[in-house]
Amino acid sequence: MVTLVATILYLTGGVVSGLRSAANLAVTPFSWTIDVIARPIGHLLAGAVNYSDVVAQNQRLRYELGRAQLQVNENWALQRQLQEMTTQLNVPFVGSLPTVAAQITTISPTSFAATVDISKGRSDGVLVGMPVVANGGVVGSVISTTPHGATIRLISDANSSIGVTFAKGKTTLIVSGRGVNNGLSATSLPLTTSITPGTILSTDGLAGGLYPPGLPVATVSKVTLTPGAATYNVTLRPTADLRHLLYVDVVLWEPST
Amino acid sequence: MSRALAPVTLVTLFLVGLQLAIFTTLRFDGVVIMLVWLWPLAMGLAGVTSLALTAAVVAGLFFDTHGTTPFGLTAAVGLALAYGASRLGREGVGDLDSAAWWVTPLLGALGGFSAPLLYTFFGLFTLNFSLWRGSVLAVMVVNACAFFVLARPMARLARAVSGAGERARR
Repeated sequence: MVTLVATILYLTGGVVSGLRSAANLAVTPFSWTIDVIARPIGHLLAGAVNYSDVVAQNQRLRYELGRAQLQVNENWALQRQLQEMTTQLNVPFVGSLPTVAAQITTISPTSFAATVDISKGRSDGVLVGMPVVANGGVVGSVISTTPHGATIRLISDANSSIGVTFAKGKTTLIVSGRGVNNGLSATSLPLTTSITPGTILSTDGLAGGLYPPGLPVATVSKVTLTPGAATYNVTLRPTADLRHLLYVDVVLWEPST
Repeated sequence: MSRALAPVTLVTLFLVGLQLAIFTTLRFDGVVIMLVWLWPLAMGLAGVTSLALTAAVVAGLFFDTHGTTPFGLTAAVGLALAYGASRLGREGVGDLDSAAWWVTPLLGALGGFSAPLLYTFFGLFTLNFSLWRGSVLAVMVVNACAFFVLARPMARLARAVSGAGERARR
């Protein structure tokens, strides 16, 4: 008896299960289609009903995203600023001389003068004639000041001239600016001197000079000799990268001190 | 002239601001394109002499307050360009309606080429002899090219602001 009931249940269960499976299989495409169409409508209605909540949530998320983005940007900017300042203010040759760090505020508006304005002036101890260094070399000197700003004439300016020396002070010459983007020129160099590309010319620091001794000014990039000439032709480039100045160091040094 | 003086002065000041804010940093081979010279030249080509001279003085003096070069030198060059261009402008040379399309750009290019030369020459009278040592040729070439391109739009602006086009139509 028990065996008979079990057999009947097994058979009917199997039949029902089979029928259910077949029905599901037949209905599935329709239900999927309806679901695809109805779900967005449902979301739309739900969104319409809960619109203010959605907006508030959206605003909160935007605010949090903005804060996170701000923090990332701040970190990036600080890191970059630190890197730039470390690079540009790396002036070990200044030695024990006191300096004032300043930011470049404006550059000369004309092609005929290579000057820049900085953010520090008389109130910070910056005076006319003080040398300015950055990015591994001399940048120029202060030509005018205001209480909170100063103007620097770059060494590439056509009015700039600096006395420099090399070969342990045995040879001195004058390096002059040749205008914006034109590099530097030097007075004639006799053939008796020994000069090679890569030689660094630094300020001579002669008495009454405008710069303290030992500040790197220019690097010799090319030495040529015209047949029959009595002097070398040297091509110079400033040691400091004058095209990408952001920060400078004003050396608090005056010729008389 | 009196009616157009205010708008011309305003546009001139706007162009000086544009020069200092945008064109100072937008350099080609280190050369700055001098809108403050192109503007008086364009005004001169419109045939309005006194307005062109006014624009040259205003633009030059305001610009010179921001530089370390001799004060008034930019204005002096602007005056020379404005006067020369206005002589041509009054004869109808470079008129945007009647002349060939290339006349105004060509006159602009000539102005752009000669302006830096005038600048260094006038610099001698201020006892500034070092202006020649800079990259004068590069400044001449770049400004000539830029003036060639910008001359027509600037001349149109000059005509609109000074009312020269309206007078010509009457």
